[in-house]
Amino acid sequence: MRIKKLLVLGSLILLVLTFSLAFARGALGYYPLPLPRVRMLASWYLYTTLNPQYTNFTAMSPVAVAAIVWDYRGLDTLFETAVFFLAVVGALTLMRGVTLKSVLNNANNKDNNYGLSLISKTAARLLTPLIIAVSASIALHGHLTHGGGFQGGSAAAVAPLLVLVIFSVYFLLSRGISEKPMFMLWTAGLLGIYLTTLAAVFIGLLTGLNAYVFQNQPKFDAPVGLPAQISGTLISGSLFFLNIFEYLAVAGEFTLVFILLSMPEEVVKSFISGETYE
Amino acid sequence: MIELSTLTYLFMAMTGVVSLVATYLAILESNLIKAVVLSAIQSTTYVILFYLLMAPDIALVYIPVSVGLYPAAVLFLIKKTERTENDSNEVVASED
Repeated sequence: MRIKKLLVLGSLILLVLTFSLAFARGALGYYPLPLPRVRMLASWYLYTTLNPQYTNFTAMSPVAVAAIVWDYRGLDTLFETAVFFLAVVGALTLMRGVTLKSVLNNANNKDNNYGLSLISKTAARLLTPLIIAVSASIALHGHLTHGGGFQGGSAAAVAPLLVLVIFSVYFLLSRGISEKPMFMLWTAGLLGIYLTTLAAVFIGLLTGLNAYVFQNQPKFDAPVGLPAQISGTLISGSLFFLNIFEYLAVAGEFTLVFILLSMPEEVVKSFISGETYE
Repeated sequence: MIELSTLTYLFMAMTGVVSLVATYLAILESNLIKAVVLSAIQSTTYVILFYLLMAPDIALVYIPVSVGLYPAAVLFLIKKTERTENDSNEVVASED
């Protein structure tokens, strides 16, 4: 035990000293903090990100990060969403055949029989709407502030998780937050992302002009674009919609996984071993 | 007069040291629940570092994932196994 402690401490100190030496010798340049002077690529992004006079290059979003994530380098984010989708599908495959209706039927439906104390429950009651509101604000202002769909969605998933831990899975299921609505939320989000990426193409087909998949603002050889403003409010074209749909998809995915993870083990075992069929 | 950037560096160094202490305690803690809480403390210090390194979007995603979702996933898994970590190599008979 003592040797283990010394080993852990020694390796941590060695790690810190190695990194300190590397940084002191200029491994990250001589300024670990970002410089006030930006590089050429960054200055180009900053110059074009919200520049209505520069129509063919602008993303019409004041946040360069959001513009890069969903416009300039949008395909990266699209494939990240696909990877996350596949990961959740993989998790669901392990739980195939498990239906939550049986869990609800087996349970003694008195909510007070489960969960933590009254103090925790009251605190959770107060906090849950706040978390949802903050997460919605993060996602809806994704094109204006440093938020976005994934940030908002993962924050929103904390709210059902809190209810799940403090009140029990039966409470959540009896309030209608079960696997089917979450699955529909998730599917609606992914479908929305899919349709938003094709929106410019549909407009191009209708107007007979050239357009690209995943196009946001008009480009040099494709004068079609999504509206940057709606009645004077900046929505930055596709960024607003992509953020909303990503928010729905991520919130649905995380909640679905946590509901399945919190199922009582006997129920899952009886399903997997083939004793229960529905 | 100390410059503002020097103060920022000092604060970042202190936050880094706190995260290191939390990591050390999390590795050695045999009660897994406490280890998860210590890991969440370490993540909180990382959020401060991300914010000071001017990556507020990463900080925003790191808060719910590392303090909310990740500890919850690990806690669910701990619930399905044993609560404490055994150092000895004895074979412990499972309850099933």
